[in-house]
Amino acid sequence: MQLKTDEAQLRRRLIAASCALLATSAAHSQEAAITGFVQDVLKEWQFESALAYYHEDGRIQAVEPVVSAGRDYGDGGSIGLNFTFDALSGSSPNGALPSHAPQTFASPSAKSFTSAKHLYTTAPGNLPVDPNYSDARVAVGADWTLPLTRLSRLTLGGKVSFEDDFYSGSANVAVAHDFNDKNTTVSFGVNDESDIIQPIGNTPVPLSDYSAFAKEGNKSKNGVGALLGVTQVMTRNWLTELNLSVDRFTGYLNDPYKFTSIINSAGGTTGYEYENRPDQRVRKSAYWENRVSWSYRLSTALSLRYMSDDWGVRSDTAQLHLRWSLSDRDRYVEPTFRWYRQTAADFFTPFILTKPTTDFEASDSRLAAFHAMTYGVKYAQKLPGLGSRPESEISIRAEYYQQTLDVRTPVPQALQGLDLYPGVKAVLVQIGWRF
Amino acid sequence: MPDEGLVVEARGADLLAVRFTAMASPCEVLVPSMSHHAALAIAAVAAQETWRIEKKFSRYRDDSITAWMHRNRGIAIEVDEETAALMDFASRCFDLSEGLFDITSGVLRRVWRFDGSDRIPDAAAVAALLPLIGFAKLQWNPPRLLLPEGMELDFGGIGKEYAVDRAYELLAARHTIPFLVNLGGDLRANRRPSHGPWQVGIERPDTEREPSLLLDLEHGALATSGDSRRYLLRDGVRYGHILHPGTGWPVPGAPRSVTVAASSCTEAGLLATMALLHGSRARAFLDEEGARYWVLQ
Repeated sequence: MQLKTDEAQLRRRLIAASCALLATSAAHSQEAAITGFVQDVLKEWQFESALAYYHEDGRIQAVEPVVSAGRDYGDGGSIGLNFTFDALSGSSPNGALPSHAPQTFASPSAKSFTSAKHLYTTAPGNLPVDPNYSDARVAVGADWTLPLTRLSRLTLGGKVSFEDDFYSGSANVAVAHDFNDKNTTVSFGVNDESDIIQPIGNTPVPLSDYSAFAKEGNKSKNGVGALLGVTQVMTRNWLTELNLSVDRFTGYLNDPYKFTSIINSAGGTTGYEYENRPDQRVRKSAYWENRVSWSYRLSTALSLRYMSDDWGVRSDTAQLHLRWSLSDRDRYVEPTFRWYRQTAADFFTPFILTKPTTDFEASDSRLAAFHAMTYGVKYAQKLPGLGSRPESEISIRAEYYQQTLDVRTPVPQALQGLDLYPGVKAVLVQIGWRF
Repeated sequence: MPDEGLVVEARGADLLAVRFTAMASPCEVLVPSMSHHAALAIAAVAAQETWRIEKKFSRYRDDSITAWMHRNRGIAIEVDEETAALMDFASRCFDLSEGLFDITSGVLRRVWRFDGSDRIPDAAAVAALLPLIGFAKLQWNPPRLLLPEGMELDFGGIGKEYAVDRAYELLAARHTIPFLVNLGGDLRANRRPSHGPWQVGIERPDTEREPSLLLDLEHGALATSGDSRRYLLRDGVRYGHILHPGTGWPVPGAPRSVTVAASSCTEAGLLATMALLHGSRARAFLDEEGARYWVLQ
């Protein structure tokens, strides 16, 4: 034992001697040490910033700056912070059906139809939209990953967001464990979200007559969810990931600004009533992604998602990303294709013919059957990094989104000439800078 | 051009290797896939530091500090701080190893040539060199050195590991991306790349190319001492190239090579070299030190 103690001391002394050697030479190195707070921050944190402009044909537009910062501690631990600001403005569909007659609506802040400044009118044949829609959102999120053992990690995350009429806070906890020489990672996480809804002009009473201005106070909703994920390294160039998740939202799940046209058998609009959705929604989804590096220049990511909920909405998504590197990887282009299809919620109805027999109804096109295609392309250029950074990247991304509604509800003869379900066409342009 | 002498090549889909030659060895800096000019800019710092150390301490160059010290035997000279730090380190290692690790033992190369032949030197010739060996015979009063007549200094036993650590420190001060500095098999990495640990092969002694052992390294250093191809063979007895500074003869029973993992390459290299100098007790020595090691017998 005595021998062992002496020998171990030898190693400790050797470590001390090595440290002394390297400290001496480092201190007298010709290379100046990097000092200064800004350089330190730049050295340790990775930043990503982007500015997106989104424009829906004839509807809303949005400007969204995003900044995120991440720091990786190298031992499996990391910190991520992100900040998002959204400014939306324009016209938002209010849920009513186009009509042969002009339709006059009151802004959400109105208390009656008496004040002209709160009113707007939709021309015959047009989809009714509230032209004064505007909202601003600020969201701040953070997550922290810390190693538990050599093979497992714990992630704690939280996010808050504020809008003019909506406040949301959420927290999540996840654990990940590596198996099989770190070729397999299994993760499990839970999250909890609490929202407060304070609609402009208060909350309309569900199913109430639009012209009655029957309003209630603030509402809330709560969501809980769980996610199980498996990531598997299949070969050196092929990674596959499978995620299963379930979540459940309870509370106020209506859109307080949406109402449904009541029409008579001749196709005339006789009134509107506010929508009413169930106060619980349970959603299950499965997601499968395969990332394959085909060559030094080409890699692809193909993902498939299936979602179904107890409202009767089932959706399928298929997405393909191709990344093609040019000229020594200093530049790349990334075309993207996304196909989406969903079925309608059981209680979706584009209009009400007679007073409904069901308690639930909504004409919100997001609950209708529709399919959509997204075509996008991103171009990125690597640049020399700031300060001591090896590189930075600027990119521009453009996407075109086209949504087609698949509503099959029979309509009265008189309405058949109208474009009742115009769908959505939108473009998104985003410039990004990573440094 | 700061990146002259550097060649970039892809290592699979996830890594780039920037290769260069220094200290008569193939060297490389590994980084995650990125643009080639970014990889070159990172690696150029490591390559230039390695070349600087090689030029300064090489015993094969007339303009090195080693040659200058050899030209000034017998008089007290004052050395620069980096050389003094290396001398101090060599002095500590000489003390800690109780004389086994000795940068003055290079004179034995005058009689021992490990070329695979059976030319064992004459015992008297070996004995004649012993008076020229012994770090304690130097007059080392930092930063002043008096190198006695006939003696030689050889920083080859620590220079490469020192260069790995110096290049590593320079890169670590600049970057947080994962990187690995490999100078002829002595290497150090800062962190695990996102796609999985660094994979390091250790050569089998009887084949040149085929790695016999593939290690996963997340961060830290690996150094290998010993060279399976440098030996003499006579009358069925294999004379390895690790010479005992006290006897001037090969250490009996020394493994062909020892690889040690440690936090710095300098520490790993010294542990590996000291293990070889312990001959047949190499494994016991490393076990006592609590080192992580791989021995090729």
